[in-house]
Amino acid sequence: MREMLRMILVLSLICGLSGLTLASVRQATNERIEEQVLTFVQGPSLEQIFSDYDNNPVKDRKTFDLPSGPITVFPALKNGKLTGVAFETFGKGYGGDIGVMVGFDIDGSKLEGVGITTLKETPGLGARVVEPEYRDQFKGHSTASIALKKQGGDIQAISGATISSTGTVAAVNDAVKIFNQIKDKLPTAWGS
Amino acid sequence: MSRLWKEFSKGLWKDLPPFKLVLGLCPVLAVTKTAYNGFGMGMAVIFVLALSNLLVSMLRKLIPSKVRIACFIVVAASLVVCVELLMQAYAYPLYQQLGIFVPLIVVNCIILGRAEAFASKNPVHLAVADGLGMGIGFTISLTLLGSIREIFGYGTWFGMNLTGEWFEPFTFMVEAPGAFVCLGLVLAGMNALTNWQRKSKGLEAIEGPVHDCKTCGMCASKPGA
Repeated sequence: MREMLRMILVLSLICGLSGLTLASVRQATNERIEEQVLTFVQGPSLEQIFSDYDNNPVKDRKTFDLPSGPITVFPALKNGKLTGVAFETFGKGYGGDIGVMVGFDIDGSKLEGVGITTLKETPGLGARVVEPEYRDQFKGHSTASIALKKQGGDIQAISGATISSTGTVAAVNDAVKIFNQIKDKLPTAWGS
Repeated sequence: MSRLWKEFSKGLWKDLPPFKLVLGLCPVLAVTKTAYNGFGMGMAVIFVLALSNLLVSMLRKLIPSKVRIACFIVVAASLVVCVELLMQAYAYPLYQQLGIFVPLIVVNCIILGRAEAFASKNPVHLAVADGLGMGIGFTISLTLLGSIREIFGYGTWFGMNLTGEWFEPFTFMVEAPGAFVCLGLVLAGMNALTNWQRKSKGLEAIEGPVHDCKTCGMCASKPGA
């Protein structure tokens, strides 16, 4: 009986201590990990979208509250003036959600461009949405009507990858909706 | 002092984990596409192995023998999660490369093997020396294998271009089968070297598979064995 109690006590004690250690390590690294993820996952796509800016969009990010949940917005500033914003939305792909970073001109009339953040599509087919040939169709596109050619729009889908193409277009359209909701708050958010 | 050195140095050659004990092969095969990946994985293992040996040795009189494996695993798993978090915070690109193989260090048999065979029976300073030696040996092995595969498969070493434009990369080496072939060749080389060493000392060479402890120092290091 005494031995049994000892086993329970020692094992619980060790587990408790590990739990405590892990919780504190997590607390200590949490903020930095978030920053690192943004720099290495979202950061490269921001570089693809904006061409002319002198700030660090990841560092200057701000979170906006929306009815559908909070959204993190990355700004592009030039000489302290806001020139564009970008944020990430998700579309249904063939192998899971496709993360699309959508960049907007500041007045919201046209897109700055799109970049792909996360992707699990088939290599050679759906994964080709990352290629400039497809992505560049969104550069400078009006936000009014974005659709694939066979839906009556002017975006050329990737042959053999209708699902991935539709998913990215849906994500971009979602982003347009979100942009219209936060449009009024944007000019004052970065103090210019 | 000499005992300390003996426990430290055995992991560097006599009991070199992947090549002599042939333990912990999952990361050896999986992450050695490049020398840098192998080195990074090795560093993570050194950290976990040295600290798990330290903690297990400190707690060895407290842990009841019936639940010792569970205790060792909890210690190892906590350390691995620490490494994972620290790697995400300070070396995110490396974390992206190693991916699932970082959490899998928990089930790497070297960790549990050293805890059970050595740290739970020896005082703290010897256990740490053993963990560091084994960890460094593991790192050197992984870096070596990674270097061979990277040089043949990409023509680079730690990302530096070693070969000129004429080099046609032998991509087989960085695919999964290349890992097995490369490991096999290194093991064969190690065996040949061991036999040559034994012969020069006047001992008989080892032929074919060995089922006793002739080639492995693990049992000899147990007190009373």
